[in-house]
Amino acid sequence: MGKRTVVPDGAAAATPAKSPRNRGVGMLIITAYGIFAVSAFARAFYQITPFPQEGKVQFVDAPLALSLSAFAAAVYVVATLALARTSATAWRVALVAVLIEMFGVIGVGTWTLIQPELFEVATVWGGFGRDYGYIPLVLPFVGLFWLFRHRP
Amino acid sequence: MTAMFLLGTVICALSTLICWTMTAVRAHPADSSIISLAAIELYLIVYGIYAGVRQAMGASIAGEAWEFWGYILTALMLPVGVFIWAMVDKTRWSNLVMSFVGLVVFVMVYRMEEIWWGSAL
Repeated sequence: MGKRTVVPDGAAAATPAKSPRNRGVGMLIITAYGIFAVSAFARAFYQITPFPQEGKVQFVDAPLALSLSAFAAAVYVVATLALARTSATAWRVALVAVLIEMFGVIGVGTWTLIQPELFEVATVWGGFGRDYGYIPLVLPFVGLFWLFRHRP
Repeated sequence: MTAMFLLGTVICALSTLICWTMTAVRAHPADSSIISLAAIELYLIVYGIYAGVRQAMGASIAGEAWEFWGYILTALMLPVGVFIWAMVDKTRWSNLVMSFVGLVVFVMVYRMEEIWWGSAL
C-alpha cells in the first residue's frame, strides 16, 4: 500500500465523490423516495376520497390515521423533489423533509404501539412502516447519510 | 395461487436478477436490463387486459374494483417512469435503479391478487 497524499484541511476528504448529489447512488435513493411518494400519495388519495363503498373506512371514522397518511405522502413528495435538485436551497429543504420523515416514522411507529386502538386503519408510518417492509424506517437514515456526504 | 401470479413472480424475479447482474458487469444501462423492464410492462398490459375482459364479462372480484384499477394504472406507469429516470444518467447505477421495478411490481401484483381473489397464495 502506497502512502496516501496528505490532504491539507480535509476539504477534499469532505467531498469524496465529485459526482453531484442526484447522480450515481443518489439516483437510487431518489428512486426509492419517488416510489414512496407515488405509493403513499395513491394510498392517501384512495383512503381519503369518499368512494361510496361497503367496508371502506371513511375519513370521518379515522381522521387521525388518514391525515397521517396524507401528511406522509406530502413529506415524500417534497423530499423526492428536493433530493433531485442540486441547489443549496434544495439541500436544506431535503434535509428538513428527511428529518420530518425520520421523526414521523419513529413517532407514528411508537404511537401505533402505545395506542393501537387509534389506528385500526393502517397508515404509512404505522408500526414503523411494517406494511412496507420497514423500508420507511431505513430510508430517512440513508437519505440523511447521503445529504451529509454531499453538503452544498 | 394463479398461473398469472406465478408468471408475474417469475418475470419480476428474473428482471431484478438481470438488473443486479448488469450492475456488476456493465458500466452503462444494459440492453438486457431495459428489455427486462419492457417484459414487466408487457406482462402488466396482459394482466390488465385479462382482468378487464374478465370483469367486463361480469366476473366479480373480492375487493374493490377502484382500488384494483388504481394499482394496475400505478404499476403500468412504474416501468416507464423508472426507465426515463434511469436514462437521466447513463451509468452502472442505471441498472440498479431499474432493478427496483421488479421488486415493487411484484408487491403490487401480490396486492392486486389479494383484491382480485381474496388471497394471493
